[in-house]
Amino acid sequence: MLAEGLNGFLGHSALIVGLAASLFGAMAMIAAIRTRNPRLVRTVIPYGWLALVAAVVAVVAMERALITRDWSLAYVQKVGSYDTPALFNFTALWSALEGSILLWLLLLAMYTAIVMRRYRARLADPAVGWALAVMLLVTAFFFMLALGPTDAFREAAAPNFAMCCRGPNPLLQNHLLVMFHPPILYLGFVGFTVPFAFAIAALVTGRVGEGWLVETRRWALFAWGFLTLGIVLGGWWSYEVLGWGGVWAWDPVENASLLPWLTGTAYIHSVMVQERRGMLRVWNLSLLVATFSLTILGTFLTRSGVVNSVHAFSDGTIGPFLLGGFGVVLVVSLALIGWRGDRLRSPGAIDSPVSREGAFLANNVLLALFAFVILLGTVFPLIVEAKEDRQIAVGSPFFDAMTRPIGLVLLFLMAVAPALPWRKASGELLRDRLFWPAWCGAGTLALAVGVGATGWAPLLAFAFAGFAGGAAIRQLVLAARRQGYRGLLGRTNGGMVVHLGVIMIAVGLAASNSYTHAAEFTVQEGETVSFAGHTFTVVDVYDFSDERSVGIKADISIDGGQAYTPAISKYTAFGMDVATPSVKSSFVKDIYLTVENGTKPSTGTAKLKVFVKPMVMWIWIGGLLCGVGTVLAAFPGRNRRRPTDAVSAPVPLEEEIAGV
Amino acid sequence: MSGARALQHAKRWPGWVLLVLVVAGLLAYGSTKDVGARTPEERVEEISKQLACPICDGETVYESRNTASISIRAEIRAQVTTTDAGDDEIIAYIVQQFGAQTQLLPRASGFESLVWVIPSVALVCAAVGLWFAFRRWRTAVDTVPDEQDRALVAAALAAGDGAGEAGDDT
Amino acid sequence: MSDRAGETRPGETQPGDPRPTRRRVAPFVALAIAVVLGGLLWVLAASKAGVDDEQGLIDSPLLDRPAPTLRGTTAAGTSFDLSRRKGSWVVVNFFNSDCVPCKAEHPELLTFVEQQSRLGALGAELYMVAQQPDTATTVNAFLAERGGDWPVVLDDDGTISVAFGVALVPETFVIDPDGFVRVRWAGQIDALTLANLVQQARTEYGQ
Repeated sequence: MLAEGLNGFLGHSALIVGLAASLFGAMAMIAAIRTRNPRLVRTVIPYGWLALVAAVVAVVAMERALITRDWSLAYVQKVGSYDTPALFNFTALWSALEGSILLWLLLLAMYTAIVMRRYRARLADPAVGWALAVMLLVTAFFFMLALGPTDAFREAAAPNFAMCCRGPNPLLQNHLLVMFHPPILYLGFVGFTVPFAFAIAALVTGRVGEGWLVETRRWALFAWGFLTLGIVLGGWWSYEVLGWGGVWAWDPVENASLLPWLTGTAYIHSVMVQERRGMLRVWNLSLLVATFSLTILGTFLTRSGVVNSVHAFSDGTIGPFLLGGFGVVLVVSLALIGWRGDRLRSPGAIDSPVSREGAFLANNVLLALFAFVILLGTVFPLIVEAKEDRQIAVGSPFFDAMTRPIGLVLLFLMAVAPALPWRKASGELLRDRLFWPAWCGAGTLALAVGVGATGWAPLLAFAFAGFAGGAAIRQLVLAARRQGYRGLLGRTNGGMVVHLGVIMIAVGLAASNSYTHAAEFTVQEGETVSFAGHTFTVVDVYDFSDERSVGIKADISIDGGQAYTPAISKYTAFGMDVATPSVKSSFVKDIYLTVENGTKPSTGTAKLKVFVKPMVMWIWIGGLLCGVGTVLAAFPGRNRRRPTDAVSAPVPLEEEIAGV
Repeated sequence: MSGARALQHAKRWPGWVLLVLVVAGLLAYGSTKDVGARTPEERVEEISKQLACPICDGETVYESRNTASISIRAEIRAQVTTTDAGDDEIIAYIVQQFGAQTQLLPRASGFESLVWVIPSVALVCAAVGLWFAFRRWRTAVDTVPDEQDRALVAAALAAGDGAGEAGDDT
Repeated sequence: MSDRAGETRPGETQPGDPRPTRRRVAPFVALAIAVVLGGLLWVLAASKAGVDDEQGLIDSPLLDRPAPTLRGTTAAGTSFDLSRRKGSWVVVNFFNSDCVPCKAEHPELLTFVEQQSRLGALGAELYMVAQQPDTATTVNAFLAERGGDWPVVLDDDGTISVAFGVALVPETFVIDPDGFVRVRWAGQIDALTLANLVQQARTEYGQ
């Protein structure tokens, strides 16, 4: 180790210290709980901070190595180059497996420290103590990964610059979103460790009190918000960088990020049933366990190379560790659920399927089914390979066909559920509350048909979206009328803002997937072609080059106005073509231009591909609205309900029932 | 006043009947409207979205920019414009040439059919499970509060100065 | 916010609860889920990480079937039709002038052709197919630089590559005198291996 360079030495030492600190911290915590020794509890705190410091030092050492181009490290040779611009050199930390585990580790250590600090006064409470112990154990697991199978600070032989040091993958050094999408997505993934830790603590101690509920709900909401934003940013990145005009391709890596989102979404709905009615406790615990395990499984799928994906960094050695971690999480959680489940189950009952809790239950079943279908489709090629030793693929046509009906029913539930009262709804009440939202849906449908939309599936999506949007707006208007701006705060109203965001995303996806027009043209400089009601004039076709790439650009004037400049660059070190589309965005439609191979500046010929995609911007606005809504929902709303407040219409007296 | 009453009346059933008629009419009109035959370019797009690029990781022929996909797109275009082969025949031809892992829509026969069957079975199981759960809940629980319960609630409400507001909005 | 985790809400089970003990369901449900997930774990553990693109002798639906149509213009400007080459063993190599392994295997192809020409009429003929975006100019430059005077068919619309199922160059096919595909080799090949493959096919299919 003495022969190591400074960065390698710092990194390795930090990781060893961090592993030891998180392990000792977890052991001290467990010992403290078992011996009920409050003094021992205090010793855990320095360990937690030490783990955070270690993670920070490791990340700083790696950044320092990247910035100073420390070629003694294999990882720097893999993702570093002299030509990478400073920004992308910084983000190179997470452009391959080893560094992305470091980022994960940093965020995890941060979450652990925040949990420790926030509950510092209550660490002696076994429920909090167990949660912290679980966090520290998970942190230790990731320290172990970073030291063993994905050692980012591994030394390498002197570089042969002809073969190595090409910088990050071209797709990871050509758009600013590389700065935001991975860290935000990871904040979401890693964030679900906190509610998971509290779920395990609840199972171990057998306590699912109100404190547990409030805390896990808030943490889950926090992680969910980041995960949502991260996924939407990923779609935006794909749209801006991949050049085929799509936002979502049902790639295994994309599916892996959607799976925990689906179970997390189910949780933040069903936890309300637990809060109101004390029911579904074991189900909620299971959802948290599922969400966390799915983040680990997703990491395994995308980082072990078992599935083919544009996003995967395949590396053979981490797979067994992640799979082992996944297995341990499952065995421990299932054993705990099997042991405790019956004692935690509540004796309550849901009186009627037509009630708020009934709608939440239906929503949970659908979201779970959604997640199951996607998991099955993603791993199915592996199942076929294991059973029949042949290769097949399951791709977007399958996922589209399976998820379209589920999505439509979910939209419908989003429309009806906000109007449903708890316990039981009467037909009259529903007719009254749903009247205007339903007409809002009909109006949306009429508008869609009026502008020429066709096909039953997108039309139904628009109608349900209008219905759901009407229901959400009705709720927000009623709340704002009662309480002014505070009517936007709190779980229900913030939730309605999130609903509006999700509805916008759904509308944007339905419209852009169903009514995209695309065409290819070969055009000479100065010529104009028209397509889908727009004209495209090729103003100029020219070569360009910078340190990293050579390529071709074309200036294209849309409708005689401003010129848009799509490009195609060949990253010389990789021999890889990267298309950079140019998009004219508006609220109603996007005009998405790419230049294709075959464009020749020498002859002034541009090979042009034009996509006209309606309502893509709605997806990004919807994502933003989801983020805003999550923040609003995290604020405490109107004074919390007291347990004695009536939650529904009075239950009829015995005689009245007997009379029916 | 009478307008409000008319609206109340409309909400009871005439408004809903009208709504159902309007929605059904619009849906029927919109989904059966003739949009004309697909252009060859649209067919090429649809077919190439059903095929995985044989040498990339998880991209379709439609998305991918490498030589193999360009060739396959050209072949699809040629077959669409010069032969009267249907979409499925063209897909079958490409899959035969490049192997089963280029077919993105799993077959509905053989072992692959499980990927279609299992979700349907799961849906049925979930629906049946919910039905049983609701049935059990309905019969098992006594929802009728007795005198003692009412006294408890009254006492609690009195203690909490009775300011609770009934609502479904939390 | 005060934690009231210790508090019990109405309906929460407490030790010594007078309520009758509930049926034990959770262990069985957990076990059932564990079995399913165990299966998933087994499948994931058994799967081969990082399935690389296959190299060497690989399967093809074309094997032992008549070769697809291979007709087109050569880089020299003449027309070419594989079906007219019946009667002799033919080796078809797919390449393009940018691909690194293609450049690496080119000297081996030269050696192979020289060897086969010594066999006289029994020797196999070699033809190449240039994938797009190669043009006559780039192919002629390639041949001028690296040698080779055999016909190179331009596959500018990709039809030939698709018909042979060639996704990644280089790839080599051996076709017998009756026009049946006998061998498909993916990836770089050397002269000795290619000569052996042709010889094996010759003895196996008796010509």
